[in-house]
Amino acid sequence: MRIVVCAKEVLDPDAVNNYALVGKLEIGADGKTLTQAAIPRLMNAYDEQAIEAALRLRDAGVTCTIAVVSVGRNATDILRHAAALGADEVACVAADASALDAHGTACLLAAYVRQSGGADLVLCGRQASDDDQGVVPPLIGERLGMPVVTIARTVELVQSSDGRAVRVTRVTPDGDEVVEVRCPAVITISNELGAPRYPTAARRMAARRVQPKAVSADELAVLPEDLQPRVKLARQFVPQVQGKCEILSGSTPAEVADRLMARLRAESVI
Amino acid sequence: MTSDAVTVCTWGGQLGDAEEAFTLARKVSGSWGVDLKWLVLGSLPEQAIGIAGRYGVAEIDHIADAALDKFQPDVHVEALAQYCAQSTPKAVLFNQTYEARLVAPRLAGRLGCAVAMNAMDLEVGGEGQLCVTASAYGGDTRVVYELIGAPVIAALSANAIVPEPLDGASASPTLCEIRVDLSRVVERIRIVTPARGQSGARLEDAQVIVAGGRGLGEARNFRLVQELAEALGGMAGASRPIVDDGWVDSSRQVGLTGKITRPALYIAAGISGASQHMVGCAAAKTIVAINRDPDAAVFRYARYGIVGDCLTIIPELIRAAKAR
Repeated sequence: MRIVVCAKEVLDPDAVNNYALVGKLEIGADGKTLTQAAIPRLMNAYDEQAIEAALRLRDAGVTCTIAVVSVGRNATDILRHAAALGADEVACVAADASALDAHGTACLLAAYVRQSGGADLVLCGRQASDDDQGVVPPLIGERLGMPVVTIARTVELVQSSDGRAVRVTRVTPDGDEVVEVRCPAVITISNELGAPRYPTAARRMAARRVQPKAVSADELAVLPEDLQPRVKLARQFVPQVQGKCEILSGSTPAEVADRLMARLRAESVI
Repeated sequence: MTSDAVTVCTWGGQLGDAEEAFTLARKVSGSWGVDLKWLVLGSLPEQAIGIAGRYGVAEIDHIADAALDKFQPDVHVEALAQYCAQSTPKAVLFNQTYEARLVAPRLAGRLGCAVAMNAMDLEVGGEGQLCVTASAYGGDTRVVYELIGAPVIAALSANAIVPEPLDGASASPTLCEIRVDLSRVVERIRIVTPARGQSGARLEDAQVIVAGGRGLGEARNFRLVQELAEALGGMAGASRPIVDDGWVDSSRQVGLTGKITRPALYIAAGISGASQHMVGCAAAKTIVAINRDPDAAVFRYARYGIVGDCLTIIPELIRAAKAR
């Protein structure tokens, strides 16, 4: 079977968070983008887990080709990482990602899936850690006419009476839910899948020579009007955190605890 | 039936934080000078008419098709697509439930229209466009999106909103029964084992939450968090790292990829305070942080802080909470 994993390059969210914590996160003159040039760029962690989900299917004995695709100007580093992890094909759809909305991105990714030999499974991270939107996978599903199963903990291949299907354990607020869906399908992977593997040194070395296949919107027969954004980023800002913390102390933990409870009772919080 | 409305959509026979959604939706319908509508898929909640009136809903559109009585994504998306074709709303708003996270973008894909999730505020811009303020980078930043075209779709982060009923007298909404044809929809996802369901109270509704993180040291210490929560008549929550490590079930997880809560009191024990976690509790009225590290980020959000080992402090808090 053919598995296509969609991967996005993002700013390291932990580094962004560290800047935010020390109050140094700033937005540039355009009012839209973070100014920190020092923040590393890496593969969205949920997408890395989507690759891990594909690799676990292979480990379970499923004969499959794993293709990893990204949209952007220069996704070589994350695609080489994908190759080191075990992707058989890596491709980059050339586009100015900042000028695309989720529809445009989904349009290019869906066109890639069609043009590159289709997919029995399209795996994506549940959301990207930069915009946290999580809308591209359902949009791909709608474009390809595939069912969409979101927020998966595990994905396994099963043979159903009417062909190939996947059994997916989904993480829901009401606990885990197990569903089955016939292939082809779009599945989004959540952090509950667990930590992705780390590529061996030899694989990382070998992946350095990998050149991702470059694909243009033209080659995918995607027209410029298909990529006109319906959602535009007008601005971005850093919210103010009201830091008025009163540190309670005492000579013993018991004293501190009593002090806190007295405060909370006095303010009718409890 | 008028078109061009701002339509809030719910299903499942429940209100689903509709009051929060109406509060934001009314702001938009007011700016546009259009009706506020409530689209209910499946059974109509008992209190619907009364609540709709108090929040200025002009019309309840009800689709009573039996196929909508339980949640089925293919069926719900098709029902919504047909509704939008008939009724041409200017904006369709959802509360960002787990189900709406899938339905809202799929509907946008079906209709080819703009969609934004994680909305904390809505405004109408100078050119009449809907401007959506949403959280990004796990809560470290806010982004403002402009949504172009019609309809536009937004999913609201309900706990970021304080419900405000109308000032004056209630309106009396009309009830319209809407027909759609769902006979040809084949649901493609088959449920093998349903989620076991929430037993009792929802974390989102808790007035007191005591949440634990890695600072608890090991899984068995989570019982301290549970004991303190019980002593305060609240519920226990958790940060993502200890859920990922399997100490507690993911239904306890507070934060961006877990529950968004708004309790009166939130006690964060052994939690560093990453933005992704704080997004799930920043709206709490009072936050108490207990952490060994005086520089931990959680203290920036807290009203009261205790610098120390939560394993020695929580037992004392349990004692003090019980002694009243």
